[in-house]
Order: sequence, then C-alpha cells, then structure tokens
Amino acid sequence: MEAVKREVCLEDLPGPKSQGELEEMKVPYEEYCRKLFAPGREFEKPESLKGIRWLSCTMYIFTPHSVANLAELGAEVIKIEVPRMGEPMRHTSPFNEVYLYPMHDSRPMTGTGFGYMNANPNKYNITLDYHRPEAQEVFYRLVKISDGLTECYRPGTFDRWKQSYRYVQEINPRFIYVWGGGFGYGPKAFGASYDILGQAHAGLASTTGFHEDFGGHPAKHSNWVIDWYSGTQITVAILAALNWRRKTGLGTMIEFSQVQAATRCLGYGVPLYHRFGIVRQRWGNWDTQLCVHGIILCGKSDYPDEKNPQLKYDARYVMVSAFQDEDFKELCAVINRKDLFDKYHTHKQRLAPEAQMEIYKALEEWAADKTRSEVAKTLSDAGILAMPVMNDKEVYECEHYRQRGTIRWLEDPTFGDVLVQGGYSCGLMSETPRRVKWIWRTLGADNVKIYHDLLGYPMSQLQEWYEKGII
Amino acid sequence: MCDIIWCRKCNTVNYLDPYYFWNWEGKTKCAECGTVYYIHMIQGFMYRGPEERPGEEPDILPLYADKPYEGYARYMPGTEGRTRPYQCTPRDIYLGKPDPVKFSIRGKPVRGWAPQPPSTGVLGSYGWKWDIEKLSPDVWQEYQEKIKRGEVSDW
Repeated sequence: MEAVKREVCLEDLPGPKSQGELEEMKVPYEEYCRKLFAPGREFEKPESLKGIRWLSCTMYIFTPHSVANLAELGAEVIKIEVPRMGEPMRHTSPFNEVYLYPMHDSRPMTGTGFGYMNANPNKYNITLDYHRPEAQEVFYRLVKISDGLTECYRPGTFDRWKQSYRYVQEINPRFIYVWGGGFGYGPKAFGASYDILGQAHAGLASTTGFHEDFGGHPAKHSNWVIDWYSGTQITVAILAALNWRRKTGLGTMIEFSQVQAATRCLGYGVPLYHRFGIVRQRWGNWDTQLCVHGIILCGKSDYPDEKNPQLKYDARYVMVSAFQDEDFKELCAVINRKDLFDKYHTHKQRLAPEAQMEIYKALEEWAADKTRSEVAKTLSDAGILAMPVMNDKEVYECEHYRQRGTIRWLEDPTFGDVLVQGGYSCGLMSETPRRVKWIWRTLGADNVKIYHDLLGYPMSQLQEWYEKGII
Repeated sequence: MCDIIWCRKCNTVNYLDPYYFWNWEGKTKCAECGTVYYIHMIQGFMYRGPEERPGEEPDILPLYADKPYEGYARYMPGTEGRTRPYQCTPRDIYLGKPDPVKFSIRGKPVRGWAPQPPSTGVLGSYGWKWDIEKLSPDVWQEYQEKIKRGEVSDW
C-alpha cells in the first residue's frame, strides 16, 4: 500500500523540531512573567469591566474604595458629591498639611487632601444636592442608564429620599444597589461607621498590641485597614452580583455592615471562646501559633545620622521566622544559645508563653549591639527567614516593587507628578490589567460631561442649577 | 506582672514603654506624686520592687502615665518633669498647616500650592489638562532650569 503523501511536512512547520529544541525555546518563567505583565504597558490592553457604569454616592475610604476597585478595572464610575464642598475626605489630610490644588473655583485656597488618595482614581466627578426636588429626576435618569450604585448614608436615608433599592428597582430591575455602613439593620442600626469603630466593635483591637502586663494597650492599626478591607469585600460582592445578573437578568441589594465584615479577620478568636470559654489575649509582635515567628528589636539604627526620628530611632526592627525544628536549631547556633534548642527542641515547647519570653529576650540580647541590616543579613545567610520591618522610604526605594511596577510615578492630567501604588498592588492580570488613569478629579469637573453630554440637559439649565446650588 | 509601676499612693499607673523595659533594673519616678521607685524586671515580671527610694534621683522618667480610677486621666509623653519625651514624633517639619510645594521629590511639577489660576471651564469646574507652560509659566520656567541643572530624575 502506498503511503499517503502529506501536504505539509511536520519539519516544515514553524516551532521546535525536537524535544531538546522545545526545551530550549521555552521562555524561562521570569522572562515570561516580565513579558506577560510588562509594567507600564497596561494601557495597551483591554479593561475587564469596560461597559459597566456605576454611581458612587460615597464618602471617606470604605465605600469609595469599593467603587475604586471597579474604576481601576475599567468601569465608568460617576462620583456624586455635595456642591461647592465635596465629600469630607477631600478635607482630611495627614497632619492637615498635604493638599493638591485646585478643588473648585468657589474655594480658591482649598485643596484636596492626600487622604482622598487611592479611593477615588479614574472616577468622573459630578456634584448634586439630593435634597432639592430638581435633583430627583436627574438622579433617576442616572439610575436608568447605570448598572449599580454604592451609597454610605445612614440606614434608611436613601429610602426616605425615595432613592433606595425598592424604589430604583422599579425603574431599573437590573440595578445592583449597595449600602455600606457601620452596623446595618439591627439594634444598632443608626450607628455611624468609621474604620476605628470596625476595629473596635469587631474585637480586632482587643487582640492587637502587647498585653497590658507588658505595658501594652489594645492597638488599632495606624492606617484605616478595615476601611480598605471592607471596601474590597464589597467589590467581591458586586462582582458576584454582576455574574448573577448575567445569568438571571436581575439586580441585587448588597447590605454591608463594616463592623460585621471585620469579624471575619478575628480568625480563631470567637470559635476559641465557644470551645473553651477563653477570651483571646493580645500577644503583640509574637505569634500564638508559631515560635519563632515575630518582630524583634535591634540595638542600632540603620540610619544613625538621619534627622527624621522615624529613621534615626525606629529603623531597628526585624521580623524573624524560624519555627521549624531545624531552623530554630540554626537560629540558636547563630545567636550562640544552643542551650535554648536543648531546652525547647519541640515546637510545642517553644510555643508556651514562658518559652517565648525567654527566646525573644535572648534574640534581642543578641541583636542589642547590631543594626537591623546586620541582623537580617546574618540570619538570612544562615538560611533563616528574616526581613527588616520596612518604612515608607524603603518601600519607595524597594527595587522589587519598582521592577514589578507596584510603586510608580504618574503624570496626573490635572495635578502633575504624583506617586501611586494603590492600583498596582492588587494582583497582576495578564489580559485585563488594572490601571490608574488619574488620581482624582476636581470637584464637579465632569458636570458638563455627565449632565450635558450624557443626559442631554441644555447648558442654560446647568447654569441655572449651578447658580441655585443644585450642582 | 508589671503594671508597670502602679503607685499605690496616688493610684497612678506609670508606663516605661516600650517593651524592652521588660528586662530592666533602675529607678523611675511616679508622674503624679514624684515618688521614686526602684524596680528590677526580668522578662516582664517584677523580680524586685517597686521599692520606694526617697531622696534619690530617678534614672529615667516614665513615658506615659494614667489614672484608671479617675476616668483614665493621663500624662502624655513629654510632660515636663513628669514624663520623658516621645522620640518618634512623625517628623520635625510637620507644620500642621498646608505645606506648599511646586515640585515632587524627583523634581517634576506638582500642583501643591494655592491659589491656582481660576478655571477656564464652566460651572466652576476645571479643565481636563494642566498645561503647565500655559497655566503656570513661572513653574514651567523653574522646571526648565531644574532640568538643566540635572535636578530632575526618574525616581
């Protein structure tokens, strides 16, 4: 039987001709990732949420951040603020001194504080006073052409203004409505919401910081971590709701209590109480489940001659992790305390509070005449995980972050040269990466774009509303 | 157990913070009544003391003190003669009022000062793009000079 002649010989096709060649042609993983994620080339790729329009009736960090996530992923977000004044976060700046200008023509000496940063990128900014009867029609028209809304007013406020889910659902049954606030319905319905409230009411602050026996107090995180965390949790719910709507055509109401969300971070704390009746205590920079796995103090600063006390005095902390038996053995050898390994050679023994006190004390004694870098290097060279507790300056200078594009400078169209990290710290996406187009817009910057270009109101009408303080 | 030093005379809790005072021997003074106490702490436990040492000088002042029975009335760090100053203040150049800048730390223009030129748009809102050369010519000029002097960098 005559062999069938192939039209195309495999040898003629492009690509590897042998297993060896295939191996050679494979791009090494590092190079592959650098090409795939290519920091700085995000704008060449499509946006996953393009086509979604979201209304943001939000303030501070918690709810604005839930929408910022959508905006960074490509949704068209319209942020609605109080005319002339703007939302309070514009006026909330670190130590009341870091502002970018301008904010609005009517307040020439007022800027927007850096507190506004990262929670409002890529949003279009309009102003509207919901209280005015003229505003209601405008609001409903926006609802009709949008996919969803996030608001943070006290429970029932939007309902009183006939803007809540049960009203807007009748106009737009596909509408996804988010209320985000402190407590939500229940006995404490009218409590307001702040990050510190979330940390305190959820019980988080009670387990942060050192125990009072050691001179510590319940400590909140300096940054508003529960605001950032809760905002992201809302975004997760929104994305799920969008998928549900894709399948059913129906909207959803998301009722999001910040104090409730923060309880998720308690870990084993509440179940521990249920099991033993034990209230978890604070254990500071050490760990209740792993030892050694904590932050220790070194004797010398890495920046003894710096003026800034945060560098001069505070750059002295190192995290050390050596809880596996062999790592702990090595650690004890490095600090010349082999007796500690003989005494606590199992992890169970090391975990006991008394053992932790002795071990960490020995570590700090060893580190007392060393700088933070010396300690980190000595331990890393010995194969132990040790890393300086970095500060903002070091995060900015970190080559790892720079090469990955985590930290980068942005030529903001309105405000000029600003450093951003928020949008590029949330996980890289090969096909539809997040991006920051602008950090924020001036107050009411897009009134013409939204009210005139999108909704079709004449300019004379806008001028009248502006003079009456409606927009 | 270390409170760290609970002065029973005036019910004031004196804190030596930070926690490396868990292993410490020396004398300190009650922030409220001025009684000098000697203590010797090992791993956070009061090994000796607090023992009154009248007439002696303290080695260190507490960092902070409060009175839990009186609604937590307190002495903040750096109260003269009572507590020692807290060294980790954020930075000595914090002014507590807007600190105007025209350039970022890498030398490029940023709108960190007021007032800005009034908007050319309508309804009091600003146009899309900050055209530095046109809207802020003095800053533009300064920027060109900075470039010449090599004061503008990538990072």
